[in-house]
Amino acid sequence: MTWKIIKRDLASHVVLIVLVALSLFPFYYMLATSLKSNPQFFSNSLGISFPFDWGNYAAAWAAVEPYVINSAVITLVSVVIIVVTTSITAYAFARLRFRGKGFLYMAMVALMMIPGALTLIPLFLEIEKFGLLNHRFGLVLVYAAGGQAFTIFVLRQMMANLPEELFESARMDGCSEFKAFLYIALPLTKATIGTLAIMNVMGIWSDYILPLLVLTSPNKMTLTVGLVQFQGEFLANTSYGPMFAGYTIASIPILIMFLLTMRMFMQGITAGAVKF
Amino acid sequence: MMERMLQSRKTGKIPRHSPVAYGLIAPSFTLMLTFSYFPVIVAIVYSFTTWDGFNPPQYSGLANYQQVLSDPIFWLSMWHLLLWGLFKLFVDLAVPLVTASLIFHLRSSRAQYVYRVLFVIPMVVPGVVLLMIWSFLYDPNLGVINSLIHHLGFTSLTPDWLGDPNLALIALMLVGLPFVIPFNLLIFYAGLQHVSESVFEAATLDGCSALSRFFKIEFPLLLGQTKLLMILTVIGLLQNVMGPLVLTNGGPGYATYMPALMMYFDAFQNNQMSLGLAIAMIIFVMVLVLTWAQNKFIRPSEEFVN
Repeated sequence: MTWKIIKRDLASHVVLIVLVALSLFPFYYMLATSLKSNPQFFSNSLGISFPFDWGNYAAAWAAVEPYVINSAVITLVSVVIIVVTTSITAYAFARLRFRGKGFLYMAMVALMMIPGALTLIPLFLEIEKFGLLNHRFGLVLVYAAGGQAFTIFVLRQMMANLPEELFESARMDGCSEFKAFLYIALPLTKATIGTLAIMNVMGIWSDYILPLLVLTSPNKMTLTVGLVQFQGEFLANTSYGPMFAGYTIASIPILIMFLLTMRMFMQGITAGAVKF
Repeated sequence: MMERMLQSRKTGKIPRHSPVAYGLIAPSFTLMLTFSYFPVIVAIVYSFTTWDGFNPPQYSGLANYQQVLSDPIFWLSMWHLLLWGLFKLFVDLAVPLVTASLIFHLRSSRAQYVYRVLFVIPMVVPGVVLLMIWSFLYDPNLGVINSLIHHLGFTSLTPDWLGDPNLALIALMLVGLPFVIPFNLLIFYAGLQHVSESVFEAATLDGCSALSRFFKIEFPLLLGQTKLLMILTVIGLLQNVMGPLVLTNGGPGYATYMPALMMYFDAFQNNQMSLGLAIAMIIFVMVLVLTWAQNKFIRPSEEFVN
């Protein structure tokens, strides 16, 4: 019996290891190439070459530094706005009663059905009309709005699942709604809020099409757009190492955040996944 | 008003109507009204006009829709969408599902965790960066893929993956190989965790093989997740501008044109905003129809799931 199970597991491990290796290959290739000088790249394009050429990172950083800062600022401000506004709204939908609540909630949920492709052109025209073309703040507002529906949807569910007794006793003690939100609802859902914040950070940091259209002057560009613009230049100079170092720099912030919050993140997705 | 507040203070029950709620939801709804609802209305209204985005729009009825639907390039891009969609629906669901099942039945829970983390790591690379890495892998002279082909002995073959009209679409479809989509994997895995243990125990007692366990128990019980991921996969592909834009720019010729890419070109390269909006509306209607069809025709099995 046991040898059968071990044998079955062994076959699974073999399949899984092959899949892992293939899935991680582009990631590995990015890291390996980012540390190669040109001669190393041409003599050994697949393996790892020693010594590492850290100079690539200095060259890449010199090229992409302003874009990193732009992306970081845009992402942080957007996600702070999203977290603050959605947690308050989710609280109102989860714990309060008011006229029109059902309708407003359905109207919000319906937004999740709207494909981004439908609103891409109108958003561009709107930003243009508001005179926000080439302003980072315009992009922040669009991201803050785009993150609302899904974040509220998930957070409302978590806040609605908290026991009502907690809030009842708080009200009896004369606690205002705002305090109940701040001292009861918020601490009890902080894991979910963290997960949702990370998901929003990933989406905004990685976005490409909208910043490509909205931020056209080179000093305002985000990192994704900057990297694509630089690709041609890097390729023309055959500076492959710095090119891949730039790609790695774009991945590092998310990687660090992911490693720090891995358990929470995996549990968050898993918890959200059950109710489909 | 005061009475009601005192009442709620005494019992602690939720007041029947809390006007403060409108204040709480106001910031969210202001953002959504301006940047989510309003653009939808703009898209619908202006798709029935002729508009370049600068000059005043002229009402033109269904002219944009007629122009799009009679354009052979649009139908070519729909054909690409169909081919890619069928392929993607199969691999993006089947591979993560099988992988999730393989991981779930490992005996060591530590190994289960390690595999899940390893499969999720590629998520940290921004999508556009991943595309640029793949475009480098596809490079006819420098790329790993062609050097692999040469190593295997086919030294006379040097396919230009993204530059050959016969290969470009296939090359785009193969980006992301082996298609263990992290999000899909985690959703399926979570689904398996919520199947009653007793179901698997009964299957083992009955001498159910891994293969029939997969097809007769796991797949039917995960139909709910499958359904959700199907619709997300199709919606994602319908809106996919970035892949073709970054890797091939729709070319060579029209070889990798997709509806969303056509929309993008019409609006932002040809200044035909209203024509782009008509394509966007067609994409939107396709999303609605597909979602409706799924809800009507695929019903998940609820028994045995706790």
